[in-house]
Amino acid sequence: MDLSRPGGAAAAAVLAAPGAVAGAAERRVGGKERVTVSGSVRGGVRADLDEIFRRDYQRVVAVAARVLGSRDQAEDVAQDVFLSFGRSSVPAGEARGWLSVAAAHTALNLLRSGRRRASREETAAAADDPVVSDVAEAVVTLEERSRVRAALARLPRKHAVALVLRHSGLSYADVAAALDLSPGSVGTTVRRAESALRKELNRHASSA
Amino acid sequence: MRHPPEGVLRRLLDEPAGVADSDRRHVAGCPQCLDELATIREDAALVGAALATEDGADVDVAAAWQRLSTRAPATAPRLSAPPRPGRSRAVLRRPVVAALAVAVVLAGAGTAAANDWLQIFRTERIAPVSLSAGDLVALPDLQAYGDVVVTGGGDPQAVPDAAAARAQTGIDVPEVTSLPRGVSGEPIYQVGDQVNATFTFSADRAAQAAAQAGETLPPPPPGLDGSRVRLVVGPGVAQTWSSSAGAPALVVGRAVAPTAYSSGVPFETVRDYLLSLPGLPDDVAAQLRTFTADGATLPLPVPADEVTTSSAQVDGVPATVLQTRDRTLAAVVWVDDGVVTAVAGSLDVDEVLSIARDLR
Repeated sequence: MDLSRPGGAAAAAVLAAPGAVAGAAERRVGGKERVTVSGSVRGGVRADLDEIFRRDYQRVVAVAARVLGSRDQAEDVAQDVFLSFGRSSVPAGEARGWLSVAAAHTALNLLRSGRRRASREETAAAADDPVVSDVAEAVVTLEERSRVRAALARLPRKHAVALVLRHSGLSYADVAAALDLSPGSVGTTVRRAESALRKELNRHASSA
Repeated sequence: MRHPPEGVLRRLLDEPAGVADSDRRHVAGCPQCLDELATIREDAALVGAALATEDGADVDVAAAWQRLSTRAPATAPRLSAPPRPGRSRAVLRRPVVAALAVAVVLAGAGTAAANDWLQIFRTERIAPVSLSAGDLVALPDLQAYGDVVVTGGGDPQAVPDAAAARAQTGIDVPEVTSLPRGVSGEPIYQVGDQVNATFTFSADRAAQAAAQAGETLPPPPPGLDGSRVRLVVGPGVAQTWSSSAGAPALVVGRAVAPTAYSSGVPFETVRDYLLSLPGLPDDVAAQLRTFTADGATLPLPVPADEVTTSSAQVDGVPATVLQTRDRTLAAVVWVDDGVVTAVAGSLDVDEVLSIARDLR
């Protein structure tokens, strides 16, 4: 019988968790394939899914791609995130933050699970045309990108998500709201994450 | 004047308007802060470059929507989806739930008297059965082998408070004495009715399903065709604390644990036959068989590649602890006197156990 019934909601949630959107329900937001008892969406997907999908799909892909370095995988993540969103009762006004956080969590879970296909990443990375300063672009090699992503997966989850959201263009206020941080602490969190990743780059640079 | 902390300097790079005038004035005239700001700027640029990807301007939104539309009706992950047990067919079609249903049927023991419903199984313990994701897909959906009729249930209903939940279900809502760090506010209370699921075995249906899968159905034992197994679970209550982003941070639920009844042929006959059906991996079948010895242990199928399990004690009762391998979610489930209680959340194992042990 389904434990997901009454009291079993919790167990079902966790069982479900590993499946898909690993991130969305965790640590305040995440839950791989499945954790929520937001039960107000009856018998299907929410009515505003189409509109919100068209508005935010590109952003969700961009967030996931920043974590994964692969457009293909980012689009897979975006699909899972929107499927979950479609069944949620997240208020429309909070959708953008919710989707961004879920995309970051889900992508980080995928990154951490090591199931990425390296060749795809390399293909995608090779096609990158990032708009960054010349100095940075020259300094960051493909291998270093891989290292940074590996280090990203090891950061405390909140630091990693804050970093990704900030670099995806969310304002400090948006990041604060999405992660339940005070706006003042977003800068500190992002800074610590950047400092940790920079150390990772230096460590390898000096040992190379 | 004191130097502003590095978080403020970091924001100065992105949103100068978000930084107090006094801090900006200080930084502009402070060589030490300007040095630090330069370092922070460099780190931010490097990390930004390392994380940069295509800007996504050329994503094909229409194609992506098309893809989502074909997936949405049936296969949505349940991240944010509430369990919807009232929708029996959809629920039973889910592999995990189907696996659990099979497991509960199989876990029964004792002999069912003819002509009458006889209790054959009452949950007294829960133990995990490890399954890989592939096994879950391979497990037979009970509907392929007969009719499944679910009565009762319906979507969980929100109720205003614990007293109302108790009044509707007769179950004392577990009281969480202290919330873990990062979880606050008032929970949402939900209640669910008792659910009955009756499975009637159909030899014809099972033969068709087997044929479609290219397998041969083992010959059903005499009397099995048309025999029934009834599963009863609930009512139950759940309280959920959400994070500010709307996802649940902590769920504490309690329900009357599953009980199974049988009519018709002896239960062992049903069990052994179901265990022989094509599609049930041998090792899982063997594991399930071991649970039937005392007839009271509910096997909880767990995707072994994604969840680890361990044992613990909650108030002297054996409990099963589940944790996702990425350590982002943990849950503890136990059964005491026919009532199953679960505590789960985006927490670590120590936190869920601590909450579980402090429940009143």
